[in-house]
Amino acid sequence: MLKKDLMLRNPLRILEQEEKGFLGKTEFGAVLARAGVGKTAFLVQLALNSLLNSKNVLHISLETPVDKVDLWYEEVFRNIADQYQINPATQPFEYILPHRFIMTFKVEGFSVPKLEERLTDLTEQGIFMPQLVLIDDLPFGEQTDALLAELKDLARKLELPIWFTVLTHRHETPADDGLPIQIANVAELFEVIIQLQPVENKIDIKLVKGRNPDAANASIQLDPATMLIVDSSK
Amino acid sequence: MKTDILNVRNIGISAHIDSGKTTLTERILFYTNRIHAIHDVKGKDGIGATMDSMELEKERGITIASAATYCEWKGHEVNIIDTPGHVDFTIEVERSLRVLDGAVLVLCSVGGVQSQSITVDQQMKRYKVPCIAFVNKCDRSGADPQRVISQLRDKLGHNAVAMQMPIGLEADHQGVIDLVTMKAIYFDGDNGETLRVEDIPADLRDQALEQREILVDAASLYSDELTEAILEEQEISEALLIEAVRQGTLTRELTPVFMGSAYKNKGVQPLLDAVTQLLPSPKDIQNEALNMSDSEAAVVLSCSTGDPLVSLAFKLEDGAYGQLTYIRVYQGSLAKGDTVINIRTGKKIKIGRLVRMHANQMEDIETIPAGYIGAMFGIDCASGDTFAAPGTDLTMTSMFVPDPVISLAINPKDHKAEINMSKALNRFTKEDPTFKTHVDEETGETIISGMGELHLEVYLERMLREYKADVETGKPRVAYRETITRQAEFNYIHKKQTGGAGQFGRVAGFIEPVADEEFVFENKITGGSIPTQFIPSCEKGFRKCLAKGPKLEFPVTGVKITINDGAAHSVDSSDTAFQAAARGAFLEGYAKAAPVIHEPIMKVVVETPTEFQGAVMGSLNQRRGIILGTQDESHMCVVEAQVPLAEMFGYSTVLRSLTQGKAQFTMEFATYKQVPQSVAEELVKKAAELKKKVA
Repeated sequence: MLKKDLMLRNPLRILEQEEKGFLGKTEFGAVLARAGVGKTAFLVQLALNSLLNSKNVLHISLETPVDKVDLWYEEVFRNIADQYQINPATQPFEYILPHRFIMTFKVEGFSVPKLEERLTDLTEQGIFMPQLVLIDDLPFGEQTDALLAELKDLARKLELPIWFTVLTHRHETPADDGLPIQIANVAELFEVIIQLQPVENKIDIKLVKGRNPDAANASIQLDPATMLIVDSSK
Repeated sequence: MKTDILNVRNIGISAHIDSGKTTLTERILFYTNRIHAIHDVKGKDGIGATMDSMELEKERGITIASAATYCEWKGHEVNIIDTPGHVDFTIEVERSLRVLDGAVLVLCSVGGVQSQSITVDQQMKRYKVPCIAFVNKCDRSGADPQRVISQLRDKLGHNAVAMQMPIGLEADHQGVIDLVTMKAIYFDGDNGETLRVEDIPADLRDQALEQREILVDAASLYSDELTEAILEEQEISEALLIEAVRQGTLTRELTPVFMGSAYKNKGVQPLLDAVTQLLPSPKDIQNEALNMSDSEAAVVLSCSTGDPLVSLAFKLEDGAYGQLTYIRVYQGSLAKGDTVINIRTGKKIKIGRLVRMHANQMEDIETIPAGYIGAMFGIDCASGDTFAAPGTDLTMTSMFVPDPVISLAINPKDHKAEINMSKALNRFTKEDPTFKTHVDEETGETIISGMGELHLEVYLERMLREYKADVETGKPRVAYRETITRQAEFNYIHKKQTGGAGQFGRVAGFIEPVADEEFVFENKITGGSIPTQFIPSCEKGFRKCLAKGPKLEFPVTGVKITINDGAAHSVDSSDTAFQAAARGAFLEGYAKAAPVIHEPIMKVVVETPTEFQGAVMGSLNQRRGIILGTQDESHMCVVEAQVPLAEMFGYSTVLRSLTQGKAQFTMEFATYKQVPQSVAEELVKKAAELKKKVA
């Protein structure tokens, strides 16, 4: 029931392309925002969107321990269930667990060969086959440009779409094309770029780069109280 | 017996299994002159450490019962509760933490913060126990106290700050640098009993100054005086720094970290100094009781010996002279010959012999004043009972007791074993609220239930060793439950007109699933279609159906029943008739509400060297486990999973062989979840076979 409700009412659909969903296989997406604006909450909703469609999501966190990442999911899931008035006894959170896998690394210990090794562990034994990957807390900057290129190769090899969160800073001047400097150098690797911008009491979700032309004008926002995505045109 | 409450410390030593807490306790007892020789935990000399008083603990090298012991250090009286480290015995840990004022969190300098440390730490948080940390085993290869300090910060969220710095690590570990006095301490003599205090070695001086600065900085948050001294660049006295750290420790905002190697006799005496200097006295802690006469309102206890007695029995042991009850007095004092009330039973009890325990030896005392821990003889009570002065209706907060998740049928081998078994079970159930026992009405077997396989195994072995009760055991049984998954209506008429008085009752309404509740009953009858006096009969009838579910005779939970219509007969309706109608209504609704079986799911955390990560995940996956995630921590990796309890039997052996014994795991109850169809069918088949056998 939750699945059907969400699919009908999910404001994220505005951003999606008809057949592909958000990202096609091998594509990169980025969620940009300043600290505390809601990158992880947004990412978790992207994940839940896939999970409720029975797609396997691999969530990689480079800072937050497994327990805390799990708490994010529980919290967002509960808020969604509250919003759509779903009885938790008939749609427990546990139903999505088989489709989700959390991996955490220390930032300094994270590398593409290591990730590939872990993924092989999972796929070869048939434990988990990811269909969407999320990478949270990866520090963007000169030192990670090469890492991103390697990740793109991995995405192509395994035919996986990958979402990233990118931390931006208020004091930094954007690059010439208007993109935050963290992503300006590697923007060509990304097919979709979404920026979260606090405006008065709401957080605007702006599509900075994407192939769905209608989506650029979409009026969706994050509600700061629940951190849920809402359609502000309604 | 001295009675200056400010010089009393009731402390626990909490830690991950094998991080060396029993060895540390042993050394503490040696340096405080309570014992005169040191023995190893695993008892190479056949004697074993003094705190591991039970035979079984000696054999397995683990501490099960929290023996309380008393010692003195530099004018302070210290009561130590040695707590078990395995998660299966956490009720013991929780019970100990309830009566403690402070704790020493022992961590292994190689293993660092492990999953069990996290559980123990959560328990300390729950009972708001201030703690200091001791990074043990600095002599081991791979020792890295700084890494443990960062783990304390990252994994446990402690504001951990080093109070010492090691002089050499691994095989070269010689002593510690005290960052308060800025002196190097070496431990001489055969057993490290002679402290040699010297200047800091020149090559470590800069690093020590840097570390001290971090310490002073962290401590300054808890003392204005210290902040002033820093700003005015005055000399910072030892007392000022210690007081600031103490303030931070008492509020649990700061965790001072000490280090050494208990096994190599290094760093224990400074830790004892820290216990007396930094951990709270009973007076520093506010304890609350519940007032039974005022709908359990919280009452702050005074810690004064003049006020009426309030005390808590926190542990029972069977000794040569009968039941030994460990007790903590919170208010007033408990003296020999006093008459007190057991608040749970309301019975009056006269206090006989009072003792102070030192592991297996004891010392007779006249009185236990507020803030002290002691033990009494010959009192029949359960663990967790409150003893108070007559006229005082206060009870200490009841402790959270989880439901057992596993059970086992046991049969005594002969008549003698039967008598001994019942004695043993009587004792164990009193000692441990998570250990339960009952007789299965159908099979006549005695069933024991508890929190895990090891939990039950330990009691079975204790039964044999301590009570000579030789029993045969059945296969472990998992505590399955039944519930429903959708709403369904019922409308049932119970009519009986043959012989005797007639019976009539009609009950209508619906049954639906409910989260987080075992059973909810709602009455929405309007217009008196069921007369008010028969509503409780309906509820009773429904409740009776819950004990044995119609599907597989497992208890039914998570059900809400609403009745909204019915009918009664002026002559034939009765309590019995409506109970029977409710039973019929339940069966009718339940069958339509898509009933399912739920099974206990355990949270399993495996810590393994990275190279075995794949194998470990495979083993959990094979056991119907859902792997929640993996955490990479340089050479080690933590795999978190949810696995059905039914699949976890014998996992420790499997894990050992998969990882060359290098991995370890903890397991605790997480939730109940629906069993997959194939497993449910298997259960139905087994239940049918069992029924045939009984018939």
